[in-house]
Amino acid sequence: MWHKISFRLLKQELKRGELTIMALAIILSVTAVLSLSIFSDRLQAGLTERSSEFLAADRVLSSRRDIPQEWLDQAGQMELQTAWKVVFNSMAFSGENMTLVDVKAVSDGYPLRGELEIADQPFGQGYVAEGLPAAGEAWVASQLFQALQLDIGDSIEVGNSSFKVTKVVTYEPDVGFSVFTDSPNVIIRHSQLEETGLIQPGSRVRFNVLMAGEPGAIDSYEDWLLPRLNDDTHSWRSIEDGDSPLSRSLNRAERFMMLASLLGVVLAATAVAVAAQRYCQRNYDVVAIFKTLGADKKQIRRIFLLHLLLLTAASVAVGMALGWAIQYVVIEWVAQKLDATLPQAGWQPYALAGATGVISAVMFTLYPLFRLVSIPPLRVLHRQLTAGNAIRWLQWVLSGGTIYALLVIYSQQWWLSTALFAGGAVAAVILLGLGRLFISASRKAGMQAGSSWRLAMAGLQRRAAQNSVQMLSFSTAIMLLLLVIVLRNDLLEDWKRQLPADAPNYFAINIAQDNVDDMQAMFERENIPSTDLYPIVPGRLTHINGEKLRDEVTKEDSDEDETERREGIGRELSLTWRDSLPPNNELTAGEWWGEDAKPQVSVELNVSERLDIKVGDELRFNLGGEVFTVPVTSLRKADWNTLQPNFYMIFNTSTLEDFPATYITSFRLGEERKSELYELFKPFPQTSLIDLDAMIDQIREVIGQVSLAIVFVLVLVIIAGALVLVAQVQASMEERQKELVILRTLGAPGKLLSRSITYEFLVLGAISGLIATLAMEISLFILQNQVFNMTPVIHWKLWLVGPLCGALAVGILGRLSCYRLIKRNTAQLIRKLA
Amino acid sequence: MLIQAQQLEKTVDTSEGPLQILQPINVSINAGETVAIVGASGSGKSTLLSLLAGLDLASSGEVLIENEKLSELDEEQRAKVRADKVGFIFQSFLLVPSLSALENVMLPAELAGHKGAEKEARELLAKVGLEDRWHHYPNQLSGGEQQRVAIARAFVGQPKILFADEPTGNLDAKTGGKVEELLFDLNKDYGTTLIMVTHDQQLAKRCQRVLQMEAGQLSEAAQNVA
Repeated sequence: MWHKISFRLLKQELKRGELTIMALAIILSVTAVLSLSIFSDRLQAGLTERSSEFLAADRVLSSRRDIPQEWLDQAGQMELQTAWKVVFNSMAFSGENMTLVDVKAVSDGYPLRGELEIADQPFGQGYVAEGLPAAGEAWVASQLFQALQLDIGDSIEVGNSSFKVTKVVTYEPDVGFSVFTDSPNVIIRHSQLEETGLIQPGSRVRFNVLMAGEPGAIDSYEDWLLPRLNDDTHSWRSIEDGDSPLSRSLNRAERFMMLASLLGVVLAATAVAVAAQRYCQRNYDVVAIFKTLGADKKQIRRIFLLHLLLLTAASVAVGMALGWAIQYVVIEWVAQKLDATLPQAGWQPYALAGATGVISAVMFTLYPLFRLVSIPPLRVLHRQLTAGNAIRWLQWVLSGGTIYALLVIYSQQWWLSTALFAGGAVAAVILLGLGRLFISASRKAGMQAGSSWRLAMAGLQRRAAQNSVQMLSFSTAIMLLLLVIVLRNDLLEDWKRQLPADAPNYFAINIAQDNVDDMQAMFERENIPSTDLYPIVPGRLTHINGEKLRDEVTKEDSDEDETERREGIGRELSLTWRDSLPPNNELTAGEWWGEDAKPQVSVELNVSERLDIKVGDELRFNLGGEVFTVPVTSLRKADWNTLQPNFYMIFNTSTLEDFPATYITSFRLGEERKSELYELFKPFPQTSLIDLDAMIDQIREVIGQVSLAIVFVLVLVIIAGALVLVAQVQASMEERQKELVILRTLGAPGKLLSRSITYEFLVLGAISGLIATLAMEISLFILQNQVFNMTPVIHWKLWLVGPLCGALAVGILGRLSCYRLIKRNTAQLIRKLA
Repeated sequence: MLIQAQQLEKTVDTSEGPLQILQPINVSINAGETVAIVGASGSGKSTLLSLLAGLDLASSGEVLIENEKLSELDEEQRAKVRADKVGFIFQSFLLVPSLSALENVMLPAELAGHKGAEKEARELLAKVGLEDRWHHYPNQLSGGEQQRVAIARAFVGQPKILFADEPTGNLDAKTGGKVEELLFDLNKDYGTTLIMVTHDQQLAKRCQRVLQMEAGQLSEAAQNVA
């Protein structure tokens, strides 16, 4: 029988729109979570796929020794594609000329991800290569044509073999950004490697097996492979491990999206909580009547639980449908705009969204429902009776626990969730206190104003307790909105700064000392923007404070103790010297040197952290046999996102200037002048050029995708915020009704009442906006510092915009909501309250 | 004896210390009697009503309905007593706004799990002259009509006792008069015991017994012959 009553009540409540806000809030949280997680899942998959091109594979297994065939067979059995890529340095000869080259011996299938591009002439227009060089042929980089004075069709000697140069390599997906170590590349077939006779025990070779396949297959293979790897010889890499600007932008964007959607979910959950509380409060009388008429608690619990379940189920279903549709439309649009297809998402987003909807609906409704069921029947005679507050702590535990659980489920990061939650809790307490303070201050101000204002301020003051709770949710909503908007702008600005339209698109390396002045003059004469020319001396860091470091590139027969040594860089470093701190570098410890200083070195921050180097430590370097020790006098933060030469170790001039050095610079040459490149650099035959355009385009494209995603997240968060505001204003309107009736009955004109209500909401909104701005600045400071690695700035404009927007939004909503009340005549109102 | 109050007392805690609302009260009401409780505002009439109906518990003393001690029952058991034996009419009607007139009348019978609730409810609505308005919601009915629905609801399931709290208090004289007629007519038809709190001396006079409440003390004021 109870379910019939429940259905009847529900039908009418739905018809009268009493459950709209709650349904909307659940729908929104499900929609937001679903569309966002599908969207970011697919975008992420798309980006990873795209980024995998940087590895030319999904995963790369690298080793200093040959890789057992068994491992490749296993990968094949697990339906992974594999390809060899063996890389080593060697001298290449052509007639009288010789130069150091990077030989890359690859097998069929290379590259597994991305495309290899070739051209018919040096520095010519590239096109996608089909297949690999034939046996006896080699494809080489444009620079090699300069260095060896080659023409297409000539032969080069590498080791014992001779190869006919048939194509120019213009783009290799896995070329990487290590501009210093790369000599011009020569691509040959893996099957011809043995004939060269260059692979001998002890040669410095890197064996790589590229792998690609379905994520599930890769994971299974990873589980199989990892226990077999030796940390000292093998490395297993994916694109996320990369240190490229792309992977950094990706990580940052991912964190932003996650954070923004978290905030969206918290907002939607808040809306559910406010709406649920209001729904239950409105049913206090109904429950009292039911109980008077003989209903027991069990019946009442069932009746309202059924409401909740039906409402939740329906809202979750609608939310799922909407979320799916939204992400579908957005993805189509993004895909069209970016001319790309994005892979399908798995089932996880659906589970996550459903769970979010159910959890927020159930957990936030439990306490109000509990109170509802315990309404005493005596309320039919004493209308002021409500349920006891004895278990109020339960509400805090439930809602706090739920928000925390949602944070954890969504972010899957304990530390971030805990930090956000703890910060939020502290902020809530402070906001509550501040709210009270502001309200009492505004009361004093209001006493000097006209009668509408006086009424408004009196109202604010009288409802101080409810108002400060309301203000808390207004402030939270406004704060989260501001936070997401500002963070988005800062993030995009930051990216734009990194990749300005005039970002360098070429690195010139191996510039001979004699050419430095001429090249600088050429840049100036030709109006080509360039960075300073930095000298480079190759060298190894061997000891820190007298302790020998582990070195990756040692002979095969290295002694056993090696593994127990302190970790080193593992490769030759490019050392430089300079009088002044390079642009985009920032000192974080110690001091920069003056002129004529004693030998010393400045260390880049990340390296100092990795190797545990501090100011005052003594570093020993080996530069081609010459060994010296210098103290560390400063640590520097370098901006690796800029396409400019950056260095781990910078020495003062007197330490290094006597060593033979080559120079490096980066410069910008527009697309339209590319054809001049060959002529411009003809006078500098030893100089090698590295074209960054392809990489820059790739980064721009990724940033484009991510920016779109961010706009989408923003819209969802704004809707969630608006919903909280509407729910809260509606709830507070009911509290105001009674007072309105009394004032109306006493003859207060409608204008006075609507004005006073509007003013009250305006002030509430303005104070909330102000508090929100303050809270936003503090959270932003922490977030930018801790999560996004950005430089925090204060947003002065928002100190005006925040309160103003808060006042306008809350004021307008309040005004609209009270309009209906004021329009009713007094008798109707009295009856409504009866 | 249908209802008995023995040494019934009610004390509440206020900021100025305990306040005794009801002095020890003893009263017995027989089945089929109509009883009016009259008195000034704040004299304790409604409190007595709430105790007799088992909506609230006494500080000391006892209420017995058909020899069952309410103080020994928990809230759920008291709800069961109300469902089986008691009907209510309130000054502010207290209809459930989300249920139609018919659904409101059916409600007590449905909560008690009675079959044929709808048929009985329709008959009662016909008796109060609202057979054509069964599908209307409370906000679509006038005050008088709402109270008629409430009366129909009170009689559904044929309770032994009907408690009425100022049943005409919110109505104008003419409408109040009609509602009054209806209430007494139905009461007579169903042979229900009526216990009514009222200010209205005329209404009180229609009851067989009038109990006077004054500063928490109850006295028998009159015995009318029906």
